[in-house]
Amino acid sequence: MQTDWIIINEYCEKCHIDPSFIIMLEEGGLLDVQDVEGERYFPASQLRDLEQYTRMYYDLSINMEGIDAIHHLLGRIEEMQEEIRHLRSRLRIYEK
Amino acid sequence: MAYIDYYNILGVSKDASQDDIKKAYKKLARKYHPDLNPNDPTAQRKFQEINEANEVLSDPEKRKKYDQYGENWKHADEFNAQQQQYGTNFGQNFSNDGTTYTSWSTSGDTEGFSDFFESLFGSRGKRKRSYGYRGQDYTAELHLTLQDAYETHKQILTVNGKKLRITVPAGVANGQTIKLAGQGGEGMNGGPAGDLYITFVIDDDARFHREGDDLYVTAPLDLYTAILGGETIIETMNGKVKLKVAPGTQNNTKVRLKGKGFPVYKQEGSFGDLIVTYSIDIPTHLSEEQKELFRKIQSLS
Repeated sequence: MQTDWIIINEYCEKCHIDPSFIIMLEEGGLLDVQDVEGERYFPASQLRDLEQYTRMYYDLSINMEGIDAIHHLLGRIEEMQEEIRHLRSRLRIYEK
Repeated sequence: MAYIDYYNILGVSKDASQDDIKKAYKKLARKYHPDLNPNDPTAQRKFQEINEANEVLSDPEKRKKYDQYGENWKHADEFNAQQQQYGTNFGQNFSNDGTTYTSWSTSGDTEGFSDFFESLFGSRGKRKRSYGYRGQDYTAELHLTLQDAYETHKQILTVNGKKLRITVPAGVANGQTIKLAGQGGEGMNGGPAGDLYITFVIDDDARFHREGDDLYVTAPLDLYTAILGGETIIETMNGKVKLKVAPGTQNNTKVRLKGKGFPVYKQEGSFGDLIVTYSIDIPTHLSEEQKELFRKIQSLS
């Protein structure tokens, strides 16, 4: 499948985001940035995550280390919610 | 319309400084922000409440107006009605051919203030974040019966006034979520639209219990067939089947019918099993003659 890419400079300008924030995310391993002929891009599939990081950083004053930790924990919460859902449906057999 | 105690929501006193309010808000926002509480409508509603409280109390002009208003408020004991008031603002309920679902934004936008807020300040309080780009994601719940989930079918949903035709594949699981890319809110500043997440909620069926791709059903079996053997008719999801019953079948005997269960998600022609549990009917209200015959059997064995 073809990946859509977003030009970082353009994104930052349109959305009033400090480019240094993107660099921080990249250095923290939270955003995959690609360099193509002097222009920098990130995959559109990461836009949702990026906006979440932006809210955590600017709205909730969470630093980069905190964002990284939360990102991992959210992944685990999602796995657990999925497991609970599965276990609940199994449990219903025995509750009848 | 009920009075809303914004100080109470933020947990600060009436003479709290702007700095105290800011601190209290930040702390609560970190606790209830939708980004940190995935799939939690309660936290989402709570977040809306604290946002509204902050919107008023962090703005000295609004706070002043609110304080003056509060002094004149005659129904201050109606605090507890505020929950319902938020409820109507929170998300939207749709109904479509008997399927109901709700949708709400998961991006933590501060839209949808209470009636109380709007009557006091109008709707101009809405702050649009300047760094918005991608549209909001919508989350919707779609209720299906077990029979609905048994067959691939199309459903038409209305999400924010837009009609959407979706295909519900046979064998979707209860709680399963599908993503419809680009069907969420419109993007801002030329950004892409958000996505629509639809979670299927399959209501319990009176007869069949589903476990993965297998179905469980309890079937009555009359005493004489259980003892002497014979045939019985079992209802499956797609019609009746005739089963041979072995002589001396015990109560709660389980029979597995291969391929008579639920369709396997996205594997056409593949089905789980149907597990039948026999529940033997013991005759009641026997006639004298029947009783006599049972006594005879009793004395023979």
